[in-house]
Amino acid sequence: MQHRLSGPERRESILSAAQGLFASKGFHGVSVDEIARAVDVSPAILYRHFDSKQTLYNAVLEKFSCQRQSYVDTIVNHGTRFEDALAGMTQVYISGIAENPDILKIELHSLLEGNPATQAFFQNRWKSFTDYIEFGLNEYLPYDIPNREKIILSAGLMFQGMIREVLIQKCLQPQDRLVDLSLYELSHELVTLFLHSIGINKTQLSRKARISG
Amino acid sequence: MSDFDSELDASGLNCPLPILRAKKAISAMEAGQTLRIIATDPGSVKDFEAFCKQTGNELKSSGEENGKFVFLIQKAA
Repeated sequence: MQHRLSGPERRESILSAAQGLFASKGFHGVSVDEIARAVDVSPAILYRHFDSKQTLYNAVLEKFSCQRQSYVDTIVNHGTRFEDALAGMTQVYISGIAENPDILKIELHSLLEGNPATQAFFQNRWKSFTDYIEFGLNEYLPYDIPNREKIILSAGLMFQGMIREVLIQKCLQPQDRLVDLSLYELSHELVTLFLHSIGINKTQLSRKARISG
Repeated sequence: MSDFDSELDASGLNCPLPILRAKKAISAMEAGQTLRIIATDPGSVKDFEAFCKQTGNELKSSGEENGKFVFLIQKAA
């Protein structure tokens, strides 16, 4: 006899199935009927837990928004040096995606689908990095360098592109030529390259590249 | 007389920048002194609760003023 799921168990099974389907087909590519079939319930049962496909989708995203606590832990435990905090945040971010690449797939689908609410969710995740980089560089880049504002804005974009690409390469489409480097080794090297590219080396970092209050 | 010794405006900043700036500001303060923080990120409410729990600093108050989130944190002895 089939085990009858409790309400919370049923909700969790719907969320899990929906996550997989949204990851492989995007928001518009999946119907409520399809999700209901995947967990062997009627659409009416599904609607008891989630009143619309959008609510269900938002609940899937909500599951992935728990990284904040880890960012706070990182800041508390890693000190306030620019490089340390950036490396710690990057580690938290890539660990979350390595454990569950569905979030990256959902993000890529959302870019094509153009749902403003969803795009805001993902932009907000990246904003933690771009804010941090822009704020840090704004304080520490000399004021008289040419194109200062453009450099600051571009640096955040560069970082976002770099980390997103390494996640795609390692989590979604593993490449033979990168097989000997782990996701963590690659991201560490990229963060180091990034710091060099914006003119910050470890000597400078340890001396002055700190975020001030 | 104000009920804080120093103030930090973290409006418009996303997690973890408000926490990072608060940590830095508190490190420059004396034990027992209070920092007032203004933030606009709704998630900062939970962030500062977690921050205080972990650092031992006291979250004296946490509330909303004019659509912004305002926190008073007293540095631990």
